[in-house]
Amino acid sequence: MSEAVEATVAEQDTDLTGANRILDKYVDFPGALMPALQEIQEFYGYIPEPTVHLTAERLNVYTSQIYGVLTFYAQFHLEPRGKYIVRVCMGTACHVKGAGRIAETIKDRLGIGHAETTEDLKFTAEYVACIGACGMAPVIMVNDGTYGSLTVQKVDEVIKKYQQMD
Amino acid sequence: MVNLTIDGKQVTVSKTATIYEAAKEAGIHIPVLCYAKKLLPYGACRVCLVEVEQMKGRLIPSCTTPVSEGMVVTTTSDEINKVRKTVLEFLLVNHVVDCPVCDKGGECDLQDLTYEFEVVTNRFEGEKFDLPTDEVNPLIERNMNRCVLCGKCVRVCDEIVGYGSYSFINRGFETKIATAYDRGLNCEFCGQCLSMCPVGALLPRPFKFKARPWQLKEVDSVCGYCGNGCTVTLGVLNKKVETIRFNDKIGVNDGNLCIRGRFGYSYVNHEDRLTMPLVRKDGELVETDWDEALQVVADGLSKAQKGLGVGIISGARLTNEELFVLKKVARTLGTENLDHSGGECYKSVTEGLKETLGVAASTATFPQIEKADVVLAIRSDFYETHPVVGMVVNQAIRRNGAKLLVIADKRGKLDKLPGARTLLSKPGLELDVLNAMAKVLIDEGLAQTEGIEGLAELKTALTDFDPAQVAERSGVDFELLQTAARQLAGAKNVAILMAYGLPYQGFNKELATAAANLALLAGIPGRAGSGLYLCGEKANSQGAIDLGILPQGNGLGAQLMLSAAAEGKLDALYVVAEDPLSSYPDRDKVAKSLEKVPFLVVQDLFLSPTAQQADVVLPAASFAEKDGTFTNAERRIQRVRQGIPTPGKARTDGAIFAAVAGKLGNSLSFTGPAAIFAEIGKEVPAYAEFDFNEIGPQGVVWGGETLQPVSHKVVNAGAGKTVEADFKLVTGSALYHSGTVSTRAKGPIAVLPEPYVELSREDAKGLKVVDGDLVKVNGNGVELQLKVKVGNRLPKGVLFVPYHFAEAQVNRLYKGEAVIAVKVSK
Ligand code: SF4
Ligand code: SF4
Ligand code: SF4
Ligand code: FES
Ligand code: FES
Repeated sequence: MSEAVEATVAEQDTDLTGANRILDKYVDFPGALMPALQEIQEFYGYIPEPTVHLTAERLNVYTSQIYGVLTFYAQFHLEPRGKYIVRVCMGTACHVKGAGRIAETIKDRLGIGHAETTEDLKFTAEYVACIGACGMAPVIMVNDGTYGSLTVQKVDEVIKKYQQMD
Repeated sequence: MVNLTIDGKQVTVSKTATIYEAAKEAGIHIPVLCYAKKLLPYGACRVCLVEVEQMKGRLIPSCTTPVSEGMVVTTTSDEINKVRKTVLEFLLVNHVVDCPVCDKGGECDLQDLTYEFEVVTNRFEGEKFDLPTDEVNPLIERNMNRCVLCGKCVRVCDEIVGYGSYSFINRGFETKIATAYDRGLNCEFCGQCLSMCPVGALLPRPFKFKARPWQLKEVDSVCGYCGNGCTVTLGVLNKKVETIRFNDKIGVNDGNLCIRGRFGYSYVNHEDRLTMPLVRKDGELVETDWDEALQVVADGLSKAQKGLGVGIISGARLTNEELFVLKKVARTLGTENLDHSGGECYKSVTEGLKETLGVAASTATFPQIEKADVVLAIRSDFYETHPVVGMVVNQAIRRNGAKLLVIADKRGKLDKLPGARTLLSKPGLELDVLNAMAKVLIDEGLAQTEGIEGLAELKTALTDFDPAQVAERSGVDFELLQTAARQLAGAKNVAILMAYGLPYQGFNKELATAAANLALLAGIPGRAGSGLYLCGEKANSQGAIDLGILPQGNGLGAQLMLSAAAEGKLDALYVVAEDPLSSYPDRDKVAKSLEKVPFLVVQDLFLSPTAQQADVVLPAASFAEKDGTFTNAERRIQRVRQGIPTPGKARTDGAIFAAVAGKLGNSLSFTGPAAIFAEIGKEVPAYAEFDFNEIGPQGVVWGGETLQPVSHKVVNAGAGKTVEADFKLVTGSALYHSGTVSTRAKGPIAVLPEPYVELSREDAKGLKVVDGDLVKVNGNGVELQLKVKVGNRLPKGVLFVPYHFAEAQVNRLYKGEAVIAVKVSK
C-alpha cells in the first residue's frame, strides 16, 4: 500500500455531501462513471478514497473497476494535490536545454519529484511532455502561468513568489 | 446449423458457435489461453489465431469469431505458428520462469504452449516483473509476476461470482491485475479465479508444495456441505485429501464452487477427528474397542426401549444408503421417534409443499434457473446459503436478462446484481408480503384459477392482506409489491427460490405455503422451464425427506424428543451427525435434555459439545471416506465416492448402523451401497427406476426435470408477526460456513474465525461502536457478548447473527422464532 493510500484511508471522515450531490445526478445513467469521477475530482481537487467507495455503492459498480479507471487515465489523482501545480517540461527542446537541472532544483527546494506533493499541500510537481513553448526552453508552468528561459536562479525566484502567496 | 471446412474437414455446427468451438467439436486442436468455456468471448491473447479463406490478409481469433456458412478455416500453418510463437515470446519476456517451484507446473497453459511451440530461445529481452506476492489472506496466493493478463480472473469474478475483486490497473508495462487500491485480496474466497487462472499466478495456499498435479489421484464426489450438490473432485495423495481439483465436466455446478466446497475439505484431515469409540467409565469418556462400544449401545438402547423409549435424531449429511439403514435400526429397536435436522426447518417442504402441491421437493432443476425470465428469492440470500445457485442467478441476469426480485429483511449480495429489486420487509413480515402478492394476482385477474382448489377460502383469507396495508406495515414499497406480482404472472419462465435450514425456522412452513400459493396462481409448478425451489441447508436434506427420516406413526419429532428427555420421559437419545447443543435453537432446553436423558449415544466426526455429554461416542466417517448417494435440492441423486480411508478405527455411519442392528439381533442381509440403494427402491418408489451403478456423471433426477404436482391446492398461510423493539435480531447462515462442521475447516475458519453481530452504519453510530467493538445483546432473558461488524446490508434497527459458532451460544437466545426483540448496549 502506498503512503498516499494510507493517508486517504486515515481520513475516512471526508465530507461526502458534495460527492453525494454529484452522484445524485448520475445514479440513473448507466455508463456515467467517467463524468461522475471527473466532477468529484473537480469538487475535491482529487479523488478521496471514501468517494470511490461511495461511487461504487451508489452507481453499483465494483470498487476495483473504478480503481482500474482511475489508474488508467492520467487525469485522475488519487492523492490530495497542491494548490500550485508545477509542471516541468521534459520535452526534447527543454531536455536539451537542461530541464533535468530545473527538476533537480525544484526537488531540492521543495522536496518533491514527479507526482509528489509537499506536506503543506501547497505544491505538486509533475513532469510533462512538451507544452508547446519550445522557443523559451527550458519551461515550467505553475497553474496557468508559464515561465521560460529558466536558470536555477530564476526557478528560485518563481518558487519564492508562490511561497509568499498563500 | 452452419457448414464449414476446418483443415479440410467438413464440419456442421450450430450457428451460434465460434470457430474455436466448431474445431473443438470436430476434434481439431486450436491452442487457447484467454478463452474459457464458461466466460463470455474475450479475444485478448491472440494464441488462437487461424486463417479464414474468406478473410484473407489477416489472422482471425478463433475464440471470438462466429462461424458462417461455407467458411474455410486453416488452423495451422507456418505463418500462424510464427505468430503464436511471437505471442509466447512476448509473454515470456517479463514472466518469471519459476516452473520448478510453481504449483501449477505440469498443468500450466503457458508451460504447455511454450513446449508445444518449442519456444527455446527468445528474440526479445526485457525486465522481469518483480512484484511482491500477495499472501495476506490464508487461502489464495497471488503472484502477479506469473500473470499473463488473460483477464479470466477479472471476468469470472464479475460474470459468475458477481463479486468484482479484480480489475486491470495502470497502463503499458505497468498494467497488472489488482484489487481496489492494489491491496491484499479480501473477498468471498470462492476460489473461482484460481480455478480459471491458466498459469501459476493464482494458487490455493493450503495446497502449496503439497503435491505435483500428476501425483494426485482424482476422485469425483459430491460436496458434503449444502444442498446445492456441487461436484467436488478430491485430489488425493498418500491417503490425504490435499486439494479440490477443478472439474467442469460433470455435475450441476459447471466447475463453480463456493469457499466451503473448495477450501472447506480440510476438516476431513483435522487432527481432532475421532478415531476410537469412547465409553463413559467412572464419569470419564475412555477409548475402547468397537465390540465393547457396540455392546454398550445395544444394551443401553434395548433397555431404554423397554422403558420410556428411545429417540433417534440424525443429521442430513449421511448418504441415502446410510439413512436407510438407520431406519432399519429404528425398526429393529421398535421406536417411532425418528427425525432429522432439528425437526422443524424442513416442514416448509414436508408440510408447506406437501399440503399445496402434494409433493415434498423442488419442482424443477437448477439448469432451468439460468433460463428464467424472472427470479424471486425469498428471505435468505442464496449467495450465502447456496452460493452456487447464487452464481446461476447472476448468470441468468447477466447472460439472459432475467429480472431478479428479492423479498427479505436485509439486503444481501443478490440485491447488488444488475437490476435487482429488493422488497425490503420488516423481519417476520415477509409472509404478509407474499400473501399480498397473491392478492394482487387474484384482484387484477392475473391469477391462473383453473383447476386450483381452495380458491374461495384463500380469497377470504387474503382479505386481511390488502397490498397497500401490507406495504404500509411491512415497509415494502407498494408499487414494487404490485410490479413484482405482475412480473411473476407475466413471465414465461419463473424460478421461485427459498432456502430452509436450522437458522430459518420461523414461519418456514407458512412461507413455503404462501410461496406455493403464489406459484400456483402464477401457473409455475409443473410448467417446463419454471419452478419452485426449496433448497435444504445440508448436502442430503432432500434425501432425508425422501427416505422418510421423520417421526414414524405416532412417534416424536426432534423437538418433542428433546422436550420429553428434558422432562424425564425418554430413556435414551441416539444422536447422529448432529450437534444439537451448538446448532439447535434453544440451547438451554437442549442442554437440559442431554443432562436428563439416562443414556446418550452420539455418533460424529468430532467430540462436539453434544458428544462430550454422551455415554458412548462412536467415531464416524466424513463424506470423503464413503460411497453412496446424496440427493440435492433439485432431486438429483449423485454418487458420493470414497477418496481416503477413515482415520483410525472410525467407520462409516452405514457400517455403524449395520453393526448396531446386528448387535440388536437383526443382521441385515444386504451390504454395500449398491445393494442398499436397490432396497431403497422397494420403499421409496421415486428411487425405484434407478440402478446405483448406472448413475452417471450428471446424476439422475427423480421425478424428471419438471416435477408434476400431485395437487393444486391453495391454502391459507396465515399472517407473519414482527416484534416491536428498537432492535430486532435475525439469525442465519454466513456465506463462509455451513452448519457447525465448517468451523473445523481451516479454510472457512481462517476467513471468518469468530462469531459477530452485524448492524447498520446508523445503528453503529447511534451506539457509538465501530468494527470489532464488543456489545451486549440481550433478549429472551439471555445476554451474549459479541463483536460488532458494521455493514450496509441491514436496515436500521435490524441485527444479524450467524448461527454457526458453538462457542457464541447464539442458540441460547434463538428459540426458533423468525425475529427476536433484543436490547443492545456497549
Ligand atoms: S476468490 Fe472468488 S470472490 Fe475472491 S477474487 Fe476470486 S473469484 Fe472473486
Ligand atoms: S492472474 Fe491468472 S487469470 Fe488473472 S489475468 Fe493473470 S493469468 Fe489471467
Ligand atoms: S457448499 Fe453448496 S454451493 Fe458450496 S460448493 Fe458445496 S454444494 Fe456447492
Ligand atoms: S520541449 Fe519543453 S516546451 Fe516544448
Ligand atoms: S484464446 Fe482466443 S484470443 Fe485468447
